[in-house]
Amino acid sequence: MKEIFNIQKVDVEFEKHSIDRRTLREVIGAKLNGQENDKTFALQDISLKIFEGESVGIIGRNGAGKSTLLKVFTGVISPSWGTVTRVKNKHIVPLLELGIGFQPDLSGRENCMLAGILMGYSPSEINLKMNDIIRFAELEEFIDEPVKNYSSGMYARLAFAIATDVNPEVLLVDEVFGVGDEFFMRKCIARMQRLMRNGCTTIFVSHNVDFLASQCTRLLWLDKGKIILDGNPNFVSTIYRSRQGIPPEFNEPIKNKQKVMVN
Amino acid sequence: MDLTSFRFAWFYAKSQIKTRYRYTFLGFFWNFLEPALYLIILSLVFSVINKMNIKDYAVFLFAALVPWRYFEKVVMSAMESIVGGEWLLKKMYVSPFAFPLNRWIVSSFELLFSMTAALSLFAFLKDDWSIALIIIPVSIIPWAVTGIGIGMICAVLFVFFRDVKPLIQMFLTLVFFTSPILFNKNIFTIDSIQGKIMQWHPFTYFAALFQKPIYLGIFPDMYDWIITTLISILSITAGYLLIKKYSTKFYFYL
Repeated sequence: MKEIFNIQKVDVEFEKHSIDRRTLREVIGAKLNGQENDKTFALQDISLKIFEGESVGIIGRNGAGKSTLLKVFTGVISPSWGTVTRVKNKHIVPLLELGIGFQPDLSGRENCMLAGILMGYSPSEINLKMNDIIRFAELEEFIDEPVKNYSSGMYARLAFAIATDVNPEVLLVDEVFGVGDEFFMRKCIARMQRLMRNGCTTIFVSHNVDFLASQCTRLLWLDKGKIILDGNPNFVSTIYRSRQGIPPEFNEPIKNKQKVMVN
Repeated sequence: MDLTSFRFAWFYAKSQIKTRYRYTFLGFFWNFLEPALYLIILSLVFSVINKMNIKDYAVFLFAALVPWRYFEKVVMSAMESIVGGEWLLKKMYVSPFAFPLNRWIVSSFELLFSMTAALSLFAFLKDDWSIALIIIPVSIIPWAVTGIGIGMICAVLFVFFRDVKPLIQMFLTLVFFTSPILFNKNIFTIDSIQGKIMQWHPFTYFAALFQKPIYLGIFPDMYDWIITTLISILSITAGYLLIKKYSTKFYFYL
């Protein structure tokens, strides 16, 4: 199987800089005194491979580093240490938030173009898809209105339609379900399932463990920037649930411990 | 820079220009009217100070003021571009070069508009035109390259130190008022302090690229080209290297 992402020994370190530490005077003062800012690890020593066609779910408590990990995959964050290798010539579409790149003053159609370009498509490819996107988003009447006049549901529908209609080969999704009404949500899920069936590699971050356990082929449990478990979705979700999201101590054995690494 | 980032810079610039005057009555026409009104006001005021005939002074002033306004706009808007690109840079991968480039494209369109406005005003102000005018499209290149270069340097500085914005604004004002853009250098004797400053001022040479063909009707000389080209190469290289070196750190400072 083809590797989509391969990250090795990745650390992501954030400096804690409070507001008053950011002025020129403070920075020069700190340099002269040899002070360093406090640091905190968002990800620590993560090694992970993701293969073509997999759908990987990522779970963990708030602040576990799930979104940071997705941002490392997309290249928004460059790790402080370690290496990230991405597959070449595949469309990687991040859906980290609905409506990234939307400009409030532009119309739905213009935003469609801009968002599509950001996802790596050419203007002519987007024009071909435009009608499908509008139909899926159910926005035929409003597509030439500025998006600042959209309701939040319309906004989210358009964003979701763009991200999934462009036939992504790799899709990264960060907790964006639960938008729109119940029926639109069903449409979204059906479309995601179709994408997965067609071999689109997907990585989901969600707090909806049931959804991930039923949809994914592999589940990853992160805590405090480290991988706790990686393997069969039912197994990982059961342990995660039974421990209420608290990872076992280092030397404490997990029942049925078998770190089912996929690779 | 990858193709996606390049396309983004271009389309984002196009949409910004399109929406700027979207809700105004005069719409697109403002792009010409705004610089024209500005030029007229300044020439009315400063022709008195320079003790020059207003028609004559207006031609002198417009010649270098139009590229200077462009330069200033490129530097100031490129400076804020990376910090202002937080909405995207923190969420999706885009090359950080796309943001100064985007501001540069927008400003360059504005330059086209203000050039058109200035040239139409010239039609009323000046009777004789020289062949030297054909050099104008080349004369803008050093201004454009130096502008984006310094803009990129400032953009990196602004990410890490927000203090630099007022400092750079002050610095540009200083450069402007000591250069022979507003004041004809002939009003100072060559031995006076003002005369000396203007002789050593880099923007004397940049201004000459426009003032000579438009106001004096002659081609810029070799020194004008050498000095401005060197400054252009130096600033764009420095800007490029700075962004390249620090781009992985931007996320944590935006």
